[in-house]
Amino acid sequence: MATGGGGAGAGAGAGDGEFYLRYYVGHKGKFGHEFLEFEFRPDGKLRYANNSNYKNDTMIRKEVFVSPSVLREARRIIQESDIMKEDDSNWPEPDRIGRQELEIVMGNEHISFTTSKIGSLVDVQSSKDPEGLRIFYYLVQDLKCFVFSLINLHFKIKPIQS
Amino acid sequence: MAAVTNADVEVVDFDLDDDDLMDEDAGAEPALPPAPASRLRSTIAGDDAPRKTKGRGFRDDPNSSSAPRDSRFGDGGRADFDSLGSGGGGPAPIRSIEGWIVLVTGVHEEAQEDDLHNAFREFGQVRNLHLNLDRRTGFVKLVNNLRWKHIHKCWFLIYHFSVQGYALIEYENFEEAQAAIKELDGTELYSQIISVDWAFSSGPAKRRNGQKRYSIVFLYNFGFLVGK
Repeated sequence: MATGGGGAGAGAGAGDGEFYLRYYVGHKGKFGHEFLEFEFRPDGKLRYANNSNYKNDTMIRKEVFVSPSVLREARRIIQESDIMKEDDSNWPEPDRIGRQELEIVMGNEHISFTTSKIGSLVDVQSSKDPEGLRIFYYLVQDLKCFVFSLINLHFKIKPIQS
Repeated sequence: MAAVTNADVEVVDFDLDDDDLMDEDAGAEPALPPAPASRLRSTIAGDDAPRKTKGRGFRDDPNSSSAPRDSRFGDGGRADFDSLGSGGGGPAPIRSIEGWIVLVTGVHEEAQEDDLHNAFREFGQVRNLHLNLDRRTGFVKLVNNLRWKHIHKCWFLIYHFSVQGYALIEYENFEEAQAAIKELDGTELYSQIISVDWAFSSGPAKRRNGQKRYSIVFLYNFGFLVGK
């Protein structure tokens, strides 16, 4: 159950300490290795890569340093999701449809979760760990939303959903 | 709960045949020797405390996307990436393609785009505004924000309005963005204090005095490469 954590939002817990975040989603198929990946590094470097060979699209790679405030917001989003308490052991294994990876270092915890692509909440409900997978599913949407906004506003490109 | 207790990687029997994404990928067929060592190992220099690790990523999985990560992000680092030229010196705000971007945090979940627009247009034309709402709506959020409180011998179920969102706002000129930050940082919006700051920076964040400098190093097994 979702208890603890408090409603402090961007309070003490979200503040200091080590922070690293990486998310990957992709698959290998007719159009080669298509994927989307981004990472926030501890020094504030945000890296973004998106590759699709569909209609001869080329790889998009962008990087920019974000301010400490942006890192703090990413941290808050993660903190509020409680993802660090979850475990991927009962999540669907990656398959030929694709894989997702979420790696986070926060304080002295380091998670590196891997699972299949999740099409919708139906997939979440029918899994062996709907509660944990739902947290992952929503968190990924929130993180993508954040990164897409940042990349879109800074570089004026529309990131493609992978 | 298969928690692995330190940075050493547990080698777990992993069935390669179940996950044969690579096989139909013409031209990218790596001769897959069973990856001998740990796929992923992270070392945070300067951190003495044992790090708690969790997840499949710490297992030996040659099909993981992580192995060729640097080839996706580019081997040469900076040169391979598009970035808007970051000048030397310490970190300073940096201009985006069409203007200056400001991040607003602590935005009340009920605040609307209009509210922000009204507050921020005082300093210049708001060229773009992204107000991103939390998607964790519905049940999950409801449960997270309900707390029992004992007040005057009665129990009350309290809904905490502490959920916050953020907004990204674009101004054309540096001075407009700077004025918005100066005037609105720390002010109230929907009876909640908002923080307003630059979104982008010209260089790495400076560590505050007295804090150890950490660097994060990921070592991968490069025995396997995807693509060319």
